Amino acid sequence: MSFLAFFLIVASLLSFVMAQLVLKRAMESTRKSGFLNLKFSSRVAGGIALMTISFFLTLGLLQRFDLSYLYPFQGLSVIFITVTAAVVLKEKLNLQLTIGALLISAGIVLVSLS
Amino acid sequence: MIRCCRNSPTHTTCELIRLPRRSTRHCHYRSGESYRCVFASSLRLQIIIPPLRETSFDMTNQPMRHRPSGFGNPWLQLALSVLCVLVSEFLLKRGAADVAEPNSAWSWTGVNGLASPLVWWAILLIIASFVSWLYVLRYIPLTIAFPLSRVVDILVPLGCWIFLGEFISTLRWCGIALVVIGLALVAKPIAQIEERL
Repeated sequence: MSFLAFFLIVASLLSFVMAQLVLKRAMESTRKSGFLNLKFSSRVAGGIALMTISFFLTLGLLQRFDLSYLYPFQGLSVIFITVTAAVVLKEKLNLQLTIGALLISAGIVLVSLS
Repeated sequence: MIRCCRNSPTHTTCELIRLPRRSTRHCHYRSGESYRCVFASSLRLQIIIPPLRETSFDMTNQPMRHRPSGFGNPWLQLALSVLCVLVSEFLLKRGAADVAEPNSAWSWTGVNGLASPLVWWAILLIIASFVSWLYVLRYIPLTIAFPLSRVVDILVPLGCWIFLGEFISTLRWCGIALVVIGLALVAKPIAQIEERL
């Protein structure tokens, strides 16, 4: 794996994780202030922009590598998102959820390595 | 002694409580206090059930007066979103491989994948899954919704096995089993909470 491929994989993963956090924030704000305000639309626009970046990076990677090769990295996103949601969004994270997320990640990595 | 926590819209307060014998598995309700605690003894896990009488609060501590059901049920939308992603993954791989030009200057961005109609169908499905995912985010915390949405990662190899007749190795079956156990662990407290609300 070349350095460029590694960089592209990390970039698509990071933009995907950030997009999820931004979108979650946006949708939570709709519970209090509804959909028609600048806060909501700017957050959704930011989230969609990040997802678009992640989408095209993944599409480019898919042309060079097999889906099965790229999947372990998508598996890592489970751990990333669970941890960042707990830290950034202050969501409750208990032992059962943590073990569940770790098992899912490990399982996805196993599925794609074999 | 076990830690017992009380939810309020702004913060959570916890205290240590000595539980009567045999109560660790069952609902523990202190009259005069506006909270109930439920404990699963196996993992010493605590699940906090918010007050039921006044406004009830869901897991994100938001009031949930108009919790939709039927087609608007967030769990149904989560399943729909996963299904759309599953189909779009197959379409994307087919489409991207059909029109791959690894030597062209812009190939690293993947934009030439847009030449394939299959990629456009995949984009439509991704937009549909995105809309239902946004809906899911409105009601379900990310720490629960996202791990559950990754069920798609075992549905892809299972789909290859069922529809394309591909071989699944022992190691891959082990991975699928791990994901299923993980999903069950994430989903279990939710099932208990949903039951009581």
